[in-house]
Amino acid sequence: MLTKVLSAAHFGLEATPIEVEVNVFKKGFPGFSIIGLPNKSIEEAKERVKTALINSGIDFPNLKIIVNLAPADIPKEGSLYDLPIAIGILASMELVKIPEEKSFFYGELSLDGGLRHTKGVFLLALAAKSLGIKNLFVPKDSANEASVITGINVYPVTSLSELIGFLNGVSEIKKLNHTVHHSLSTDYETVEFDFSEIIGQESAKRAMTIAAAGGHNIFMMGPPGAGKTMLARATAGILPPLNEEESLEVTKIYSLTGNIPPGEGLITQRPFRTAHHTTSRIGLIGGGSDPHPGEISLSHNGVLFLDEFPEFPRSTLEALRQPLEDGRVSIIRIAGSVTFPASFMLIAAANPCPCGYLGDPKKECKCTPRMVMKYQAKLSGPLMDRIDLHINVPAVDIEKLIADPTSHKASRGVVANSRQIREEVINARKIQNKRFKGLKIYTNANMKNKHIGKFCDIDKESLLLLKQAVNTYNLSARTYFRLIKVSQTICDLAGEKRILPNHVAEALQYRIRTND
Amino acid sequence: MKILRSKIKIGRTLKNIYYRGDLEKGIFKKSIAIVGSRRMTRYGKDVVDKFVSEFVTNGVTTISGFMYGVDTEVHQKTVDYGGRTVAVFGCGLDVIYPPENEKLYGQILENKGLVVSEYEPSAKPHLWKFPQRNKIVAGLASLGVLVIEAGEKSGSLITANLAKKMGKKIYAVPGSITSSVSVGCNNLIKSGEAIMVTSASDILKIKSTVHSSLSTVHNLSIMENSIYKILQLEPMGIDEIAAKIESSIVEIGSTLSVMSLKGFITESGGKYYLSK
Repeated sequence: MLTKVLSAAHFGLEATPIEVEVNVFKKGFPGFSIIGLPNKSIEEAKERVKTALINSGIDFPNLKIIVNLAPADIPKEGSLYDLPIAIGILASMELVKIPEEKSFFYGELSLDGGLRHTKGVFLLALAAKSLGIKNLFVPKDSANEASVITGINVYPVTSLSELIGFLNGVSEIKKLNHTVHHSLSTDYETVEFDFSEIIGQESAKRAMTIAAAGGHNIFMMGPPGAGKTMLARATAGILPPLNEEESLEVTKIYSLTGNIPPGEGLITQRPFRTAHHTTSRIGLIGGGSDPHPGEISLSHNGVLFLDEFPEFPRSTLEALRQPLEDGRVSIIRIAGSVTFPASFMLIAAANPCPCGYLGDPKKECKCTPRMVMKYQAKLSGPLMDRIDLHINVPAVDIEKLIADPTSHKASRGVVANSRQIREEVINARKIQNKRFKGLKIYTNANMKNKHIGKFCDIDKESLLLLKQAVNTYNLSARTYFRLIKVSQTICDLAGEKRILPNHVAEALQYRIRTND
Repeated sequence: MKILRSKIKIGRTLKNIYYRGDLEKGIFKKSIAIVGSRRMTRYGKDVVDKFVSEFVTNGVTTISGFMYGVDTEVHQKTVDYGGRTVAVFGCGLDVIYPPENEKLYGQILENKGLVVSEYEPSAKPHLWKFPQRNKIVAGLASLGVLVIEAGEKSGSLITANLAKKMGKKIYAVPGSITSSVSVGCNNLIKSGEAIMVTSASDILKIKSTVHSSLSTVHNLSIMENSIYKILQLEPMGIDEIAAKIESSIVEIGSTLSVMSLKGFITESGGKYYLSK
């Protein structure tokens, strides 16, 4: 008898319904085959399904079984078809009854008949809602991902036998309650460093605060041991929590890549990702024959930290240009094109030269001019032009900074910790959220030029200062607009309504400087 | 410009030398050889700037070895200030080594300077040719040899030694005792082989021109004034300034921006310098 069970396949961030057609023949040579462009992990489903059914107390039929994943021309992958195939076989043998209402079956089977955490449930729930599919049978560990979507019934399934019992009306599976998505967690106990632990570098800390407040990309240059990496890692602790829309966007990507831990639902903590310079281009940008999101998409609405920036292959760095500008990345393959969101705040760190001591007042630089040129040429103009804040992180001269404890009571006493800085950042973000309500942009850094004209209120004196800076430093049009965006963030941090000259003057501190 | 050949007095002997440029008689009359490390620090750069500017104002020709580091800086600064400089090559004059200095080559000639070499125009650079070249560097200088930043076994010390044998004066600029590229200079001074100098006037035996003082600057706000005073002591980064003045980074940052725009200070490598 032929049965049809609904499941889904993922392409990019979209889930498309897939019909799993199962036919168990009464006659024919015994066998079990799956067709419909399955990949290796689906081929192996045969063994999992067979063993899981046997271990759930079912006599696996010694008959010819054919499974077709329709539409048959879409390549499919993943272990999520285990459950629909098993249910299809059972229904075909008339051992269970598939509900009348349209239902999605989704999940990987364990050999003992239990269900394992399976990625992509959040996307499945979204698809179910838009397609009007009522019921969702998903592994219990992954069910929480679907709990924030209203209007669908989510059944968390622990094992195959439990589901068989439920479908036959023998036992009960409790529907998952819809969890209200209220104020997101603000817990940051897990952060590695606190800003107050970093000695000196007050100006770099200030720049980091501005970057976090406005979502600006930031580039740090300094000798080894100055504290660049520490500053970047500490920044994780001053990021504001995700707002509701942002959280949904992030959860989509994390669900697709299986980055949501079992039992967890929405992602509420702003992503902070680090990529080593040996990361491949596809690993960073995303891609593959079946396109997967890369690190830049996993850092969507969060931070991507690239240490030793010039050590990345040039092609990888240049590939960052489009996502940095557009906030998303389009991956085009023969199989089709996919667009992943990639609106991230970039923190990049670099040494001034390969040995790290170029321009150091005391230590000599051991690099030849050619090495320095080659190193710095990696950071092309167009790429650096897309970074709003450029700062120097000089080596800390401990004696100079700590000074004698007798005189510096004032300045020593007020080393701000991450918690205080985070408050400032959150307040500045609140102003921005209000400003950009309904615009699908969340931060000053995301503003396009038309938004700048609309939202940024600059007083006459500031405008004059800007013009003067443009003339003196020969700034490009793009740099000009970046300056205004940074000024706006400084203005928001100060809680002012208009951009004042001192905001612009401070923003000028962070412009690109040509190295001499 | 064509490569010419001429006998030139190197130390006490006449030598046949290839050259390109304007070999005018007076060019070596007041001339100084400036040599130093390839691994120049920011301090070395400042020293070169200070000395070269004074030499150029006094019409002194600078002579150096066209290598990167102090050599290149000397040629470049002389050219920037519009002075005459002589580059002595360790290879043929048609071979530009190091290649990054191609632009500088043209600038030297434009400013009525010279490039000279004892090798065939197409001779390749070899390690052994560079100490040889030092003999010419030292021999051409009428005022003596000035050593800026030399390590313990620096080639600059070879030049100094050669100069001594030719009976020329050796000058050295002292450096930090903890810096490895100042060991050579400090040793020269310690042993008495070199005369310690701290400004070009020490060599030129003239009264130093009065340094511009704070009084020339007007219209500074209180904050600007205190920053200006601090920077007179030494160049500093923003954090150090903030630690000295005990004011917020935000305020100091914007003040520094305004001061840079007004042209009072310049920034390089994270440190602020008073504009000259």
